[in-house]
Amino acid sequence: MASIKAERLVKRYGAVQAVHGIDFEIADGEFVAILGPSGCGKSSTMRMIAGLEKISEGSIYFDGKRVNDVRARDRNVAMSFESYALYPTISIYENIAFPLRSANVDNREIDRQVRDIAEKMELTSLLDLKPKGLSSGQAQRVGLARALVRNPAVFLLDEPISHLDTRQRYRMRRFIKSLHQKFNYTMIYVTHDQEEALALADRVMVMSDGEIQQMAVPDEVYARPKNAFVAGFVGEPPINFFDCGVVAEPGGWAIEFQGRRLVLPERLHATAQQIGAGGLAAIRPHFLSIGEESPLRLDGKVFITEELQDQNLVMVDVGDIRFTLVAHPSVMPKRGEIVPVSIDPAHLLLFPRSQADKVGSIAA
Amino acid sequence: MLQRDSSFAREALRYGLIVLVLGFIVFPIAWMIITSFKPPEDVMVSPPRFLFTPTLENYVHAIYDKNFLFYIKNTLFISVTSTVIVIIAGSLAAYSFARYNVGDGHLLFFILSTKMFPAIAVILPYFLIFRDVGKTGVGRFLGIGLDQPGALIISYTVFNLPFAIWLLVSFFQDIPRELEHSARLDGLSRLQVLAKVVCPLAAPGIAVTGVFTLIFSWNEFLFAYILTRKVASTVTVGVESFFTLQGILWGPVAAAATISVLPMLVFVLAMQRYMVRGLTFGAVRG
Repeated sequence: MASIKAERLVKRYGAVQAVHGIDFEIADGEFVAILGPSGCGKSSTMRMIAGLEKISEGSIYFDGKRVNDVRARDRNVAMSFESYALYPTISIYENIAFPLRSANVDNREIDRQVRDIAEKMELTSLLDLKPKGLSSGQAQRVGLARALVRNPAVFLLDEPISHLDTRQRYRMRRFIKSLHQKFNYTMIYVTHDQEEALALADRVMVMSDGEIQQMAVPDEVYARPKNAFVAGFVGEPPINFFDCGVVAEPGGWAIEFQGRRLVLPERLHATAQQIGAGGLAAIRPHFLSIGEESPLRLDGKVFITEELQDQNLVMVDVGDIRFTLVAHPSVMPKRGEIVPVSIDPAHLLLFPRSQADKVGSIAA
Repeated sequence: MLQRDSSFAREALRYGLIVLVLGFIVFPIAWMIITSFKPPEDVMVSPPRFLFTPTLENYVHAIYDKNFLFYIKNTLFISVTSTVIVIIAGSLAAYSFARYNVGDGHLLFFILSTKMFPAIAVILPYFLIFRDVGKTGVGRFLGIGLDQPGALIISYTVFNLPFAIWLLVSFFQDIPRELEHSARLDGLSRLQVLAKVVCPLAAPGIAVTGVFTLIFSWNEFLFAYILTRKVASTVTVGVESFFTLQGILWGPVAAAATISVLPMLVFVLAMQRYMVRGLTFGAVRG
């Protein structure tokens, strides 16, 4: 087990810079998810921690000890890969035994440890098979078993379950969470799936364009995103963004859009003051509703209703803004119907207009 | 009825074509083997005789009078040595091209482009170089002068290496990087990763490349003919020596040719399993 600290970490591939000098700290036994779209630098960051990529600039410390020049095999880091990376020519047993054999553990001890981890991972009946015959769920469990068999100081997981089908994914997610709770490994989990990140991690590190956008506990990332990128990337269905004017009111601030005015809650006053005239407001689909009382009601024309059984997604046009809102399954407005839409200002978010292009990059 | 006729016709056509193609391939080989057992008076008659009293006379002539096994020995030494060098150097080069993209693709293209000019274009400079190098102390020590095995080993290595690298690169590219990453984290050094993880996976590809290289070297004629006289001559040159002033000794030529085909035939049959695996390895994934 180890704590990890990164200082002004930079990764360059030739002229391309993938990671732009990031700083972070991960406590011993903490489970951190690195979340971001492809190309955001999350995998480069992980591979630098593993020692598979050279660190271009900056430092990484394990338990306060600088590991830049420590080779991958000497860092005691285990990793499980998206593609499982099982050695195809040898049996499952030998796959799991591989790290022990390269550490020259004696055969009796290898056998004991392999069988022990196989038991925990429900792999005992598969030990004599070659990786080729395994289902993807089994292959990933073998990958995890091989990673865990030597008791790593840091356990890295690179998109470990993105190849699994939905049902397997839920199973595996719980399994990984239980591993962490049982053994208290320092775990870093790279994913582009925000649901996985929020569900599993103690803290989520959201990355984009080689920079850390926010690093915080899941609740905070969800409810108090630091910028428009985080707000747009985290949350399903995606948050609604709309342009607004920011105006001073007696004793506070308000936003104006579609000719309506909404008084801002106090926590947004400072933000409003910084932003000045043009703002980018955001509200999650769960905090919009149809027909409920609120300080601001808008008339919206229903564009489409998606019935998802446990909830309905309604897309409504308010002027030229299209909002998505989550409604109770009993609420099924027809296309073209005019409905009252209310916004819960307690959950409203406000960003500078200049961040609008960051939002565009999520969709792309 | 009509249906059956047309499907019968189609099957007939299919087998007809197979027989035709097989005929083209098998007939010359069969002809060579049959001729090698014919007594001299039956060799060049028209129409050809297929009923004759088989004799080993041609083999006796080739092996004892012409000392043909000497050429086999030379060829074996030269082509196996060259193949081993090609495989080792080629694998290392191909691995670095596949993994580190050395030279950004330009170097790989340059290496392959050396295959684009005909061998005969360089034969004269090769001749001159080996003649001069062979006179130096180092050249004599390494046996790389004219009519010495080293000259042919170097020539074959130079000429087979580009093709081998080109073939091997795709095999190495097909091996997932994650496997190497995983092995490095599991405690192996880079060289151990190459030996324990990469090579076993690339084995079918390396086998295929080795077989091709060996066959090319074994069958090569031009360099062997120009660069050797007696001491280092290979089988192809050996067969040519049967074209004497007194005429072409067709019977012994056939016997010698049969002898020189045999080792490769046995070798390829033994390697067939790997070759098919190696040849389809890239295709299936691509």
